[in-house]
Amino acid sequence: MPDETTPRTSICLSGFLVAAAALATGAPAQDHRVDFAREVLPILSDKCFACHGPDTREEGLVRLDSRAGATSDLGGYRAIDPAALEDSEILARIHDAGDPMPPADSGKRLTDHERGLIDRWVREGGEYAGHWAFTPPTRGASSAASIDEHVAARLAARGLDLAPEADPATLARRAALVLTGLPPEPAQLGRFLADPRPGAYEQLVDELLDDPRYGEHQARYWLDAVRYGDTHGLHLDNRRGIYPYRDWVVRAFNQNLPLDDFVTWQLAGDLLPDPSLEQRVATGYVRLNPSTAEGGAIPEEFQAKNSFDRTETFGTVMLGMTLTCARCHTHKYDPITQREYYRLLAYFDSTAEASMDGNRYEYAPVVRAPGDQDGWRRWQELEPEIRALTRAGRELHAAQQVEWRDHAKQAAGYRATDWRISDKVAGDKVAGGEVTGAAPPAGSDGWQAAKGLPGTVPKLSLGAEQVVWIEASLAAAVDQVLWLELSGGPRSAVWLDDVAVAAAVQPSGALAATPLRLAPGAHRLRIRLAGRDQATPVSVELVDPWQTLARGGDWDACSPGEQLRMLADPLAPLGDEPEREEFRARARELGSRLDALQQAYTTTLVARELDRRRPTRILARGEYDLPTGEPLEPGVPEVMGVPVEGQPTDRLGLARWLVGPEHPLLARVLVNRFWQRVFGHGLVRTPEDFGLQGEQPTHPELLDWLAVELRESGWDMQHVLRLMVTSRTFRQSSAWRDDVDDPENRLLARGPSHRLDAEVIRDVALWASGLLDPTMGGEGVKPYQPDGMWAALAHPASNTKRYVPDTGRRTYRRSLYVYWKRTSPHPMMTLFDAPSREVSCVRRSRTSTPLQSLGLLNESQRLEMAVALGQRLLREAPDRDARIDLLFRLLTCRAPTGRERAVCGELLATMRSGYAARPADAEALLGRLGEGRDTDLDPAEHAAHAQLAITVLASDLALTVY
Amino acid sequence: MTNLDPHPAREADLAITRRLLFGRSALGLGTAALAGLLGREGLAAGSPDLAVGDGLHHRPRARRVIYLFMSGGPSHHDLWDHKPKMQEMFGKDLPAEVRDGQRITGMTSGQKTLPVCPSRFEFRRYANNDRGVWVSELLPYTARVADKLCVVHTAFTEAINHDPAITYIQTGSQVPGRPSLGAWLSYGLGRANDDLPGYVVMHARTNFAEQSLFNRLWGTGFIPADHQGVLLRSQGDPVLFLANPAGVSRADRRAQLDALSALNEAQHERFGDPAILARIRQHEMAYRMQTSVPELMDLSQESERTFALYGEDARTPGTFAACCLNARRLAERGVRNIQIFHRGWDAHGNLVGEHRSQCKDIDQACAALILDLEQRGMLDDTLVVWGGEFGRTAYCQGKLTRENYGRDHHPRCFTMWLAGGGVKAGITYGQTDDYGYNIADEYGQPLTPQPSKEHWTPGTMHVHDLNATILHLLGIDHERLTYRYQGRDFRLTDIHGHVMHDLLA
Repeated sequence: MPDETTPRTSICLSGFLVAAAALATGAPAQDHRVDFAREVLPILSDKCFACHGPDTREEGLVRLDSRAGATSDLGGYRAIDPAALEDSEILARIHDAGDPMPPADSGKRLTDHERGLIDRWVREGGEYAGHWAFTPPTRGASSAASIDEHVAARLAARGLDLAPEADPATLARRAALVLTGLPPEPAQLGRFLADPRPGAYEQLVDELLDDPRYGEHQARYWLDAVRYGDTHGLHLDNRRGIYPYRDWVVRAFNQNLPLDDFVTWQLAGDLLPDPSLEQRVATGYVRLNPSTAEGGAIPEEFQAKNSFDRTETFGTVMLGMTLTCARCHTHKYDPITQREYYRLLAYFDSTAEASMDGNRYEYAPVVRAPGDQDGWRRWQELEPEIRALTRAGRELHAAQQVEWRDHAKQAAGYRATDWRISDKVAGDKVAGGEVTGAAPPAGSDGWQAAKGLPGTVPKLSLGAEQVVWIEASLAAAVDQVLWLELSGGPRSAVWLDDVAVAAAVQPSGALAATPLRLAPGAHRLRIRLAGRDQATPVSVELVDPWQTLARGGDWDACSPGEQLRMLADPLAPLGDEPEREEFRARARELGSRLDALQQAYTTTLVARELDRRRPTRILARGEYDLPTGEPLEPGVPEVMGVPVEGQPTDRLGLARWLVGPEHPLLARVLVNRFWQRVFGHGLVRTPEDFGLQGEQPTHPELLDWLAVELRESGWDMQHVLRLMVTSRTFRQSSAWRDDVDDPENRLLARGPSHRLDAEVIRDVALWASGLLDPTMGGEGVKPYQPDGMWAALAHPASNTKRYVPDTGRRTYRRSLYVYWKRTSPHPMMTLFDAPSREVSCVRRSRTSTPLQSLGLLNESQRLEMAVALGQRLLREAPDRDARIDLLFRLLTCRAPTGRERAVCGELLATMRSGYAARPADAEALLGRLGEGRDTDLDPAEHAAHAQLAITVLASDLALTVY
Repeated sequence: MTNLDPHPAREADLAITRRLLFGRSALGLGTAALAGLLGREGLAAGSPDLAVGDGLHHRPRARRVIYLFMSGGPSHHDLWDHKPKMQEMFGKDLPAEVRDGQRITGMTSGQKTLPVCPSRFEFRRYANNDRGVWVSELLPYTARVADKLCVVHTAFTEAINHDPAITYIQTGSQVPGRPSLGAWLSYGLGRANDDLPGYVVMHARTNFAEQSLFNRLWGTGFIPADHQGVLLRSQGDPVLFLANPAGVSRADRRAQLDALSALNEAQHERFGDPAILARIRQHEMAYRMQTSVPELMDLSQESERTFALYGEDARTPGTFAACCLNARRLAERGVRNIQIFHRGWDAHGNLVGEHRSQCKDIDQACAALILDLEQRGMLDDTLVVWGGEFGRTAYCQGKLTRENYGRDHHPRCFTMWLAGGGVKAGITYGQTDDYGYNIADEYGQPLTPQPSKEHWTPGTMHVHDLNATILHLLGIDHERLTYRYQGRDFRLTDIHGHVMHDLLA
């Protein structure tokens, strides 16, 4: 038990003692009225509301969360008595010598300071005001009109000033790390340091904001918050197709997509009118919850769990609020009722995916989308052209609707029967395309009926040197065009009625979709399907672009690919206008470009709404099998305002409310997280909780000023980041000051300093060594990790049971792209505090452990990077001093001090003589680099420089921002 | 509010004893938060006055815990919970009133019948300090230490599937995101050995790795990541990245670390950030671990008697027996928080063959661990816990024969045992009905209403109760070990949990 007689000698209490002393002397305390929202409400929330708050159930317990409650008549007395403030019961109870409130068994206790504040507040009238975070931000009464004025005002009140500016080199490193997650390029740094003009720093900042690596770095914070992972996360933890969402986030930041759109697309891109592919891919946000398909799991249970997860993650990411409590009961601290929780949940409860993932990569609904940033770039060029053409096509269709429908119905009447397939034969046994007739082709033992065709023949694949022959009978009712899509490689060929059909080869090496023009009557189709890689699946599809229309769909129900093919169809009833041929040609051209692009498409999970909403009810105690009451309409917590008028009551309406001008939280929550990544800590140091139990902002007016600035700038994230990193506050030296007792830097009287995140630590080393592969996007990459880490945990049926490391350039990609298995992320990530991405994380811990030291100095890729960096030093700089200079220039942006140079020189000398005597050891170390190693270099010299490199890379010079 | 950034200078300035520190909660500081800060930095700084076994809230009964976790759900029917009356019911449908609406998993909910499945294994009654305890023929070695075990027949949970159930018993919540039991202990107790991790996890080899494990089971959720369990591996480096790479000698490493310290000290002089000094200390501790861990893993000094006790398996790295021997060695070296995960207990079919193999893996080593600790005088202050995330059904899943059968998951009752520090030795606790299906009263009648986590029922042990009890034995009040996140003071036991005083010596 706590010892009540413990002497109060601790230094860590000095802050408190100073405050208490100030109160005792009465100095600054009395010259302003107590601010209820900022000074009293947090005390009431923490110390009183558990019993006297929103979830008060016990009869006769006074509620202190509203003035009405606090002033209610309790039988001749009131907690706060407006008529006789001195007689307020609350004063008597908190000062009761024998049994003071809060009661002993609550484990809570008021400090003298807190009691004093309550006393003053009651005596000043006991007025209530809303919690600051639920009141929309304004620029406020303060005249401060910049970050620096706000910060300086607070410092000035304590007789302090901002620290001197950091030196330009350090500042450049700091800004580059904050914005792009990497140090500045040496040439860029050189230009900046040589540029004496005012505005040189601002120009550097603009360059950094324009750098594509900016989007990669900023995306990583968002992916932590929304719990992005490459696996489903529960039970088997199988692969999940979702990385196009990650790539979209990177692109959105690089293109500086306004944050209101950024948020709206993610919440409800599918519900926007005529949504683009990107807007649909963005709804992957809704699908990021961990999911399961554990045998025996009960679907209703996981429907509830998935919706809880989405609702609560939405709370953390967008509202900076914890909603979890209200799942089971009305929130004890924040004014959110259980009913409101379930109304908010109702927005997320009617998406179309099954509640269990089937362990499938393509956990439907999915869309097909470009698989990397290059594909997206081509898509972004092509998409407006396709859109323009298909919009024009819509008008043509509207004008000839009956004719189109008739054609579609007749075209849909084709039949394809008698599919046959030969045995696999080796490619070299087949001589060109001369085989004709019905006999089995030479080299094949015979024909058999082809199960699975059209479609994919199960469990049959072709090696690169193999072919199969496929035949089918086609019958058409009208003159029509069908499209043949093959899985085969470029040596594949197609004959229709023994006449070779021209077919193009895709850039991917596959045969492009081939049009087959069929006259009415019977036809014979023959295909030679050639493999193109180790395991080309045997698949043949016949696609009728008219089928959606034939089934009664309208123009907009057809995919862009179908629309283009219909428009390209020479038989399409396009009308008589003279420009129709131009249309066809254009549609053919765009169609083939789209086909080529789609070859590299992949699938990604998206949100889609059910046609009929699921009824959402309150679940008693949060138990899925205890629904109570009537189905609820979706709705937002009252304390945060009302939905925007005229908007639908679905996810789109929710998004519109969130980005609306009156919303109290979103802008504050976002700028706070930006501040955190720039300065190391948020202005609200509990970015996950802006509620009554969260911390007060260190600079409340600055937070609000920035929130308004974000909104009024058109939700321009780069604008706000630019304000932050160009501020004098950011540019301060980060040296600790003797004149300021503020270890946590709450006053912002020095610049930021903290350890870098796991990803940045790895990326900096890759970058400095020259190994970094700048390729953007695509499926997660697998750099080396110790053997057996996945197998030791995984379910035997899991498809993430074996970790097969990539080889070559893929292992040098930025850490953003490292494959994220949620039940076992990469050890160099978890070692440095990366979250598992099973739940939202808006603030990482920053620990310091011996295991980190082992990883920094012994992990395989770090060694490889060190050997490469050592090699770079030797090749790019002529002598010892120049090499140490280059190393420091890369990692610290400055020259080494004399002492640093001496330490490095001594280490080099020790290592050089050691390795000269142990050539086998030098070889063992240098062998890490494989083919990239320059064997002309002296091994002892090279090994010594590798050791220097890994040492400096592990030091705080490289590991921290300062 | 807990600050996640270490501020070692401030902490170093504190220079106060642990007891003094914990006396300070009266002054409005979060006790556990400060404990955590000390666990992270104070101990890393090597503060000898934070003595082992001081306990956080009260005098501990155990100074360390070794948790033998049987992942997949061992069958209480076939190991511990003897139900002779089921023999007469072989193959007959389980009476509906026994199941009484219990939800069953999707794997057997489609079965036409739920045939009663008596164990085919023989049970014998072994003397303990109570009425004796029935143990099946599968656990002959463990049976012989029955007088040292506290066998609880009435553990229960709500979860019916592996992922939620194992996440529940290890983190107190069925969904991911919370700190694990081990992380809570690390946070609450700090570390007692400067040269070894405070919380060590081992994965034992099995022939039936049927279910998955997850990092979250020894992860830290929202508390700082340095409280996560450190995997002691049987493949490659015993601790990740422990060994110097080929071509780097111990002398090379010393030279590197000297240079590293010099660079970091210069950086510290420039910026004054005490976190830099903390990192220097971590590098030095890593250097020491490079000798302390291999020394730990080197069994060459263990006697032949020891191997006779644990079995020849103990010579093979990665076996459960080797893990148990390692656990004892870790315990000897002051590591307080040790977990062994043994997979393969999820016997939906072929239970007979699988459980035979599983028991062969663990039986001798479990007994050996207890005897070994006892011989060394460590059993009194070492808590040993054995059990899985749930039990298995009384009815058969799939084909039922006299020779073989399978059993589905069963949450309503299962058997765990505890032994050592602070626990009554040689007792059994709680009982189940004639079908091993429901927790029952002393006459074998199912309790009504069903026991629940909401209120503790004598004779039962919910998974929260188990965790509350483990914390209690280690000197921690489960209601007071909290961590504030998202404005709420989280606990391992959520808002539940009852210390099982009935089990305490």
